[in-house]
Amino acid sequence: MSYISFAVLTLVYMELSMRVVTAPICAYGQAGCHAPSLADLFERVIQQSSRMHGISSDLHSELEQYFFPRKNVLGKHKCHTYGILTPDDKENAQRLGREQLTDVILSLLAAWSDPLSQLHRSMSQDQNQNFNDHSYSKALEISDMVHELREGVAIMAEKMKLLGVLGNTMGYISPESLVPSSAFTFYKQGELNSVDHHDLLYCFRRDSNKVKNYLQILKCTILPGLDC
Amino acid sequence: MKKAVELVLLLLLLFFTPHIMGKRYSPPGKPTLTRCRSPEKETFTCWWEPGSDGGLPTTHALYYRKESSERVYECPDYHTAGENSCFFNKNDTSIWVNYNITVVATNTLGSAFSDPVDVDVVYIVKPNPPEKQTVTIMEDKGWPFLRVSWEPPQKADTRSGWITLIYELRVKLEEENEWEMHLAGHQKTFNIFSLRSGGKYLVEVRCKPDHGFWSEWSSTSYIKVPDYFHREKSVWILLTIFSAFIFLILTWLLHMNSRSLKNCILPPVPGPKIKGFDNQLLKNGKSDEIFSALMVSNFPPTTSSNYEDLLVEYLEVYVPVEQELMQEESKDLHGGCLKCERSTSDSDSGRGSCDSHTLLMDKCGETKEEGRHTDRASSRMLTEAQRHQKGWEKDTLTYAHGDMVSPDMSNGRVKTWPSVFSPLPQYSSNPLDKQSSLEMAKQHCLSTSSCLTQPGHSTKEALGPSNWDFCLGNKQPHLLHPQTQVGRQLQAHSEVNISNIGRKQAPAGLQSPALRSTEYVEVQRVNEEDLVLLQPVVSGCGRIEGYPQMPKGKDYSKVKGVDSDNMLLLQREVMEEDWWTGNCYTSSTVNTTQKPTACIHTAMPVQGDMALAMNGYVDTATMCTLPTC
Repeated sequence: MSYISFAVLTLVYMELSMRVVTAPICAYGQAGCHAPSLADLFERVIQQSSRMHGISSDLHSELEQYFFPRKNVLGKHKCHTYGILTPDDKENAQRLGREQLTDVILSLLAAWSDPLSQLHRSMSQDQNQNFNDHSYSKALEISDMVHELREGVAIMAEKMKLLGVLGNTMGYISPESLVPSSAFTFYKQGELNSVDHHDLLYCFRRDSNKVKNYLQILKCTILPGLDC
Repeated sequence: MKKAVELVLLLLLLFFTPHIMGKRYSPPGKPTLTRCRSPEKETFTCWWEPGSDGGLPTTHALYYRKESSERVYECPDYHTAGENSCFFNKNDTSIWVNYNITVVATNTLGSAFSDPVDVDVVYIVKPNPPEKQTVTIMEDKGWPFLRVSWEPPQKADTRSGWITLIYELRVKLEEENEWEMHLAGHQKTFNIFSLRSGGKYLVEVRCKPDHGFWSEWSSTSYIKVPDYFHREKSVWILLTIFSAFIFLILTWLLHMNSRSLKNCILPPVPGPKIKGFDNQLLKNGKSDEIFSALMVSNFPPTTSSNYEDLLVEYLEVYVPVEQELMQEESKDLHGGCLKCERSTSDSDSGRGSCDSHTLLMDKCGETKEEGRHTDRASSRMLTEAQRHQKGWEKDTLTYAHGDMVSPDMSNGRVKTWPSVFSPLPQYSSNPLDKQSSLEMAKQHCLSTSSCLTQPGHSTKEALGPSNWDFCLGNKQPHLLHPQTQVGRQLQAHSEVNISNIGRKQAPAGLQSPALRSTEYVEVQRVNEEDLVLLQPVVSGCGRIEGYPQMPKGKDYSKVKGVDSDNMLLLQREVMEEDWWTGNCYTSSTVNTTQKPTACIHTAMPVQGDMALAMNGYVDTATMCTLPTC
């Protein structure tokens, strides 16, 4: 018994003494913060978006195998983010400018925060039982990722504004004006009001790709370098 | 009417001819869209596979519909991308927009629609292979490596970040079959290490967008690695030197231990060795030296100082009458074996000698046992006589007490039969023992060198000068030779068991010479090795009545000495003469010299004149010379 208590005390002491202190990213240049460079920020953000897109693709392909005939499109439906004007061309994207591009990115990310968080709950309630454990975890993961990415891009935008890279003409348009209020319910279909997870994931997959691509364009526009 | 019928028939023919010939026209078959690809995510192309044309010229048309729009467009460009293709240029291409494409095949008889395909350009990107690929050889601390560098395909706009490509290259030697794959990631250069010296390498690169298809492999680049032989050579040189060094050490070790190894592997066969024999002398070829080495320097003594050493004391053997009978029987069986006569109690009678005609100890051995009682008795007496003798007699005694007859007589003394004396203690107090001792003495009285008989107790005092038989080998060295007859006989004689002890008691004739019976050995000849060959006296001796009968022409003589001419000087003693007349015995002489031609001489004894240095006897009755040369 004394040994156990001694071990516990030791562990507690070690825990307290060797605490890992995280240095938060201070985009605002607060005192005591270790501010990462813009390049690092871009790097992190692009990696995160790439990962997010990958997971959403996997999730979508998992759902697709249960559908016959192959349903690769929405059918007659649209994505709920149709209101957000996104450049569908390279020239259009370059023509858009970095500030608006940043806005688009942020809008997209904001538009998807809520539906994805509801997706996980909805998937567990799905009566079709088309999902396995991996699907649940992936859905949860992408919902978290969207939130993180959104915050990260916001910080990066702030930093860019600080650096003067990004002009202040950018106005952060709230997604509510562009996006239907109940985004998640946008994907409901049928009389049973069941959500079409497939359509949702299809839309999200595309939008995550857009985000990623826009971020890469932004990066190569602002920081032309090795990878561009 | 006929013409109408003909016309109808003609029309029918014309109409059905194609059917008769098997040809049919039909609407076109259903085309299929095989693939759509975009090289840079700005344009894309779709290819289709037409179905059967139905025998009629068929045209194909591609129609597409964009997402969330019902408007149908037709393919803007059917030619750029080749046949059965539709090329969508930049203006017509929208990314992240779903295209619903359909191909229609049409001929005069009908048209066919393909299955619609949904295409999103983002996911059909397959870039061109990387361009401007270069492979160079660079050196890193003397070791070469390949540096491969390339450029992204020209059409793919990676500069603006529109497309992000990852690269992969593969390498192989010219003679190999398997490629070695390397993922390069986003970088546009790559290093390949661990090259084979003098090898020829093939390098190819390809690329892929983040989510798309791999491009085709670029054109092969050939590169030949120079021979960096000097590097490997130094290693080989070092290795060679090291192994040579090790080899030298091993050789040296082997050489140092060659002898011990030789002994271990091939142990030497031991050769015969003769003591005192020098191989080198033999090789030199001087026989004199060789044999001189074998010789004992002090033997036989050339000086005549120790004649006594050469003389054998003569012992008398007394055998009782009954025993003599038995002896005779044994003699009859043997036909001339040992014959011991009864000897008188006179120790000087020399009855200890044994007459022997033959030297075959085997024969004698058997008969000896019967007649040994006489020997024993006499031997006992003789031993007592010996006690009075000088030291050399005692030596013989000691020999006798030994269990074996050693041919190596010291100082050339007479061989004794030890077993003769072994039962000595028993007989010391018993007259019966005397008899048995006589027997023993007789037993051991063989034709070889000596015949020692024990004098009886009673004649102890009379045995002072006892007669010894002169049986001696010529040279001591020859006694060493186991091959001589004498040696054999000696040995055989020594093994003679004194078994017949319990003979009839010798009568008190032990005291009297009449009871004594002595056996004598006769010198047969001297062989070439200067050995005196003795033989038991044959039946020249008749019944022993108490006195051993003397063979004709044989006498005892007491040896006085040996003169300078190697002649035995005998002394005739009157008393003995009378006593010895009945004796049958022989006397054997001694060659005192080493010369092989030495003859046994018996000099005519001078009556009583000569005084012997010792009490050795040579029995000569009438001064007969025994021809022995």
